[in-house]
Amino acid sequence: MTRAGDWRIKIVSTQPNDEKAKIVDGFQFIPPGLRAWIRNSIPVDDFKGTIPWTSLLKSINRTTFALVTSAGISLKTDPPFDMERERREFFWGDRSYRIIPRETTENDIEVNHLHINTKYIRQDINVMLPLAQMAEFEQEGIIGRLAPSSFSFYGFQWENIDFLKKSIEPISKKMKSEGVEAVLMTPA
Amino acid sequence: MAARFLEEAGFSTVVLTPSPDFHRAVGIPRSAAIEYPYGRPVGQVGDREGQRKVLMKTLEVLEKAKKPGEVWHLPFTWLEEPKKTDWQPPEMSPIVKFFLEDIKKARQREAEKI
Repeated sequence: MTRAGDWRIKIVSTQPNDEKAKIVDGFQFIPPGLRAWIRNSIPVDDFKGTIPWTSLLKSINRTTFALVTSAGISLKTDPPFDMERERREFFWGDRSYRIIPRETTENDIEVNHLHINTKYIRQDINVMLPLAQMAEFEQEGIIGRLAPSSFSFYGFQWENIDFLKKSIEPISKKMKSEGVEAVLMTPA
Repeated sequence: MAARFLEEAGFSTVVLTPSPDFHRAVGIPRSAAIEYPYGRPVGQVGDREGQRKVLMKTLEVLEKAKKPGEVWHLPFTWLEEPKKTDWQPPEMSPIVKFFLEDIKKARQREAEKI
């Protein structure tokens, strides 16, 4: 399987000139039936449309960051993401979002997601939403700043684009108001 | 979809994704692909050092990617064997339940090919 010549693929290697640079196999962890089914449902062709692009204008050590995850993380003080309706309506996914303040730890959260085992995030929020490391990076001058707010929405949005209006648009407004320039996104 | 929306709204985004093939199909501006299980893209529970390394490489992609749609493959390997890695939800997800017959058939077809 050689895909290195493909224009889409750039290989990051820890060692320069490493000919055995890794190509990620995204199906490694998926059981065979599900793997075959997903492979059949992914378009073979590359994405043909225009891909939006905002250039990073500064180096990351002067850039303000926010984190956005689709892992269904909510504060214990907020209503949890709605799993009951998805259990009743197989194609429905919660369209709402939650603000996760930068000082949040695993002790402050609930995690609801029907497509992953959420126990690891409940043990250590940083496996999904790395607030502690980004705060460290800020202190060490590796990034400019971590904004006061990060965000979670819910990743299962089967052929649904309502969540863009209901969640991503308000998230975008809040980020603008906090001076965010770059976003690290971690899909569940 | 969310990354595309935010990029259009004027943010530079990078998606740390365990499923680059799936995300490639929807046109993500910048991806850092990682061969880690779903639900733990940054690393193992409590492994601060490992999590930091993944994040550093992911943030580098923000600076290094020059064209929309680039996928950078991160050089990390999960410590447990994929088959032994527990990432799946304790209850079968509603959509998998709905398509279970199709999934079984897909598996059968795959097995027949071998």
